[in-house]
Amino acid sequence: MTVSPEIITESRVDRARLRRLPFLTAVALVVALAVTVAVAFGSLIAPHDPDAQDLILGASGRSAEHWLGTDDLGRDVFSRMIVGARAALLGPLVVAFVTLVIGAPLGLMAGFYGGRVDGAISRGADLIWALPALLVAIVVLGVVDGGYWLTVAVIAFLSLPHMIRLSRSATLVQARLPYIDAVRALGLSGPRIMSRHVFPNVSPTVVATVLLDFVGALIVFSSLAFLGIGFEPGSADWGTMLASGKELLFINPWLLIGPGIAIVLTAASVTLLGDWAYERLSERDA
Amino acid sequence: MSAVSLSTPSSAERSRQDGSSLVVEGLSVTATGAQDTTRRTLVREISFSLEPGATLALVGESGSGKSMTARAILGLLPQNVRATGSARLEDIEIVGARERELRRLRGARLSLLLQDPFTMLNPLQSAFDTVAESLPRSVRRDRPRARDEVERRLLEVGVDPTLAGRRYPFQLSGGMRQRVALAASLAKDPQVLIADEPTTALDVTTQRDILELLAQLQRTRGMSLLLITHDLAVAFSVCDQVLVLYAGSTLEHGPSAVLADEPAHPYTAMLRASSPPANHFVERLEAIPGTVPAADSVANQCAFAERCNWARPICSATYTVAQPVGEGHASACIRVDEIRPELRRLGEAAVGEVRRAATSLGSASALLEVHDLSKSYRTVSLVGKSREVEAVRGVSFRIDAGESLGLVGESGSGKTSIARCILGLSAPEAGRIRLEGTDITDYRALSRTELAQVRASVQIVFQDPYASLNPRLRIGSVLAEAVQARGVKRLDTASEVAELLQLVGLSKDYASRRPRALSGGERQRVAIARALAIQPLLLVCDEPVASLDVSVQAQILELLRDIRRQRSTSMLFITHDLAVVRQMTERVIVLYAGEIVEEGSTADVLDAPQHPYTQRLLASRLD
Repeated sequence: MTVSPEIITESRVDRARLRRLPFLTAVALVVALAVTVAVAFGSLIAPHDPDAQDLILGASGRSAEHWLGTDDLGRDVFSRMIVGARAALLGPLVVAFVTLVIGAPLGLMAGFYGGRVDGAISRGADLIWALPALLVAIVVLGVVDGGYWLTVAVIAFLSLPHMIRLSRSATLVQARLPYIDAVRALGLSGPRIMSRHVFPNVSPTVVATVLLDFVGALIVFSSLAFLGIGFEPGSADWGTMLASGKELLFINPWLLIGPGIAIVLTAASVTLLGDWAYERLSERDA
Repeated sequence: MSAVSLSTPSSAERSRQDGSSLVVEGLSVTATGAQDTTRRTLVREISFSLEPGATLALVGESGSGKSMTARAILGLLPQNVRATGSARLEDIEIVGARERELRRLRGARLSLLLQDPFTMLNPLQSAFDTVAESLPRSVRRDRPRARDEVERRLLEVGVDPTLAGRRYPFQLSGGMRQRVALAASLAKDPQVLIADEPTTALDVTTQRDILELLAQLQRTRGMSLLLITHDLAVAFSVCDQVLVLYAGSTLEHGPSAVLADEPAHPYTAMLRASSPPANHFVERLEAIPGTVPAADSVANQCAFAERCNWARPICSATYTVAQPVGEGHASACIRVDEIRPELRRLGEAAVGEVRRAATSLGSASALLEVHDLSKSYRTVSLVGKSREVEAVRGVSFRIDAGESLGLVGESGSGKTSIARCILGLSAPEAGRIRLEGTDITDYRALSRTELAQVRASVQIVFQDPYASLNPRLRIGSVLAEAVQARGVKRLDTASEVAELLQLVGLSKDYASRRPRALSGGERQRVAIARALAIQPLLLVCDEPVASLDVSVQAQILELLRDIRRQRSTSMLFITHDLAVVRQMTERVIVLYAGEIVEEGSTADVLDAPQHPYTQRLLASRLD
């Protein structure tokens, strides 16, 4: 992934802080920031109009004008990659958000209340987990013929068990400690104890899990797009680009390599950041 | 001739000629930071020598460096920690030795016995395998011989090999585990056994047995014993010599009998005076003010100066190694000659107190009535039947308004289960609990107003001050939340938080700190303040000083007594320590295996115990 000019200035401002980061984490942070900028301002920073066709040029290899070449309709691959970040990452972002605001509270409740509440939530989570996510998504979306947002909803639903399980087990550890008993003895309500006392102490696990769920969803979305499910053909999206690139492999391999690298690099960076965040947040209490 | 010689170079020289087994000279331990720029002193220039068959105790509180010293002697320091100076076993230098040499020493000539019998044994190894693994290789190879040898070793520590040999750690009691661990650490017949807090995790009666076993094995085998403990009484009962460590410095070093009767350092004297006696009530407990400093912050001064009643400016400006003050007796106090008579008087005052019971502040009206309470726990197992453990069986008692009741028992006696039932943190199977006439047996059955009233009437202070505060909240928020739980408006809490901090002896600026920045004693003060914020009628104290440093315990006990004097709060005082019961309660209940075996006024029960178990508890005390 190429680093856009904005990112370099940003990292220079933060250099003092970045220097204390482990090297790989710093790299991951730069990648994540670059991707974030692409999601936010995609069409503004892309050197070409991603949909502008140049049928005379057609598919071509790398050149000074087109850094990563063009596809069969003569569209600039680099620009389409930048703009495609939004379609590729918006879904995973929403999925991660849903696991945070629905999955984490469910896990907290299961761990905190135990008994029947735990039974209901955990068995439900187990049931969802038993479903093969990608297969279910393909079937549902194939039958209903829904658009992008139905895809997001299905993936989000299927991603919940992971967060529920991990936040539940982190809660079980905390709920056993005397400081929780002490506030129960003060007569605080369950929701208040969970939000004010349990959640801050399980947040390292929750944050790391949110980032992992984001990565998982990114892979699932890219796979679906590659298969042509949930995305319109021809849309600028990393997975769709991958699919169309395989036919032009020998004319412009960058149509395949570019989006591929973008997916791998984003996934790896976010995973690394998750590890780092978990360690940093856990350190705070040590 | 005393077994351990004084740590001046000349005497160390002499003892080496006598064939002394372990000589430590000027041993310092420092921790290096990640960048190798910051160095923190953990132990400073400790010297002693241990002749064959001698016993020496290193006594110190947390952060004194006693465990680090032991690890340095075994060459088992953590990665970023280094030792300088010298520790020799006969003619082998341990400091700086290579791992290969150290491995030849460990187990065979120097052996280590650790504190926690729950984690130091491999859970997948039976008692038999644990000992067998530690035998010398030549014996281990010969199977029949190894079996005989293991059986002999187990018998030596009082474990029946046919009954317990095939058991796994989870099937053994704490005392049995410690015996198995002892057999394993003695399997190669070491010359020196280093025992690091070997009885701290054990019950009082078990502690006595293990200490006696340790002393007996040391005598019959003629091996040297280096005992590491935080408890002066344990040190005096087992060892001929005691070395008192404090924040990394050696404060006093001498024969046990001399240290017990005529301590030559204010710290030793105050530690003796501040440990509450079990045989009589003391009007005012002599508490040592302040908390134990980090070794590094007092590296260039007398480590105890900040907390010492006799400190002069010069004490905070000079560092001295212990100087001889008598036959085989050294003290690091530079004013020892001037203050010695006063130190002696401090010891006498503690002994000469009148024998009398705590005055009862109680009135006749019952605040809490517990009737025929039973509580059991079910353990669920993946295969086989789930088992039910009865923690409390038919326990009845009452606490009157303003009264303080002691609940004494060892681990597993059910005392904490009773506390949790009273607070509604768990529900009893059978029985009745009434608080001010309200039936609180089942908290879930209470109406909203009843629940609010009950919550405002009873509060708890837990044992572990490190886990009883939310690590993410500032002290001010912790207390403000407790004040608000009483129904006070959010805006009015600040002044009350300051008052609460003052009540427990902390300054206002603690409100902005996080638990991490507080010592154990300070955390326990905050936990007490939180419990008091709601102005409860009954305060349940579940072993409130058991996890604290010895020099801090008296402070907390005195604070709790102050609170009773000021607010006449009733207390249910849960403890395993009879001395604490004597000082804190008017009446006492003795629990054994979930049942009450004896009850009565504290003075009667402790002076003339009727039940064999109470008698055994009293006989197990070391002072």
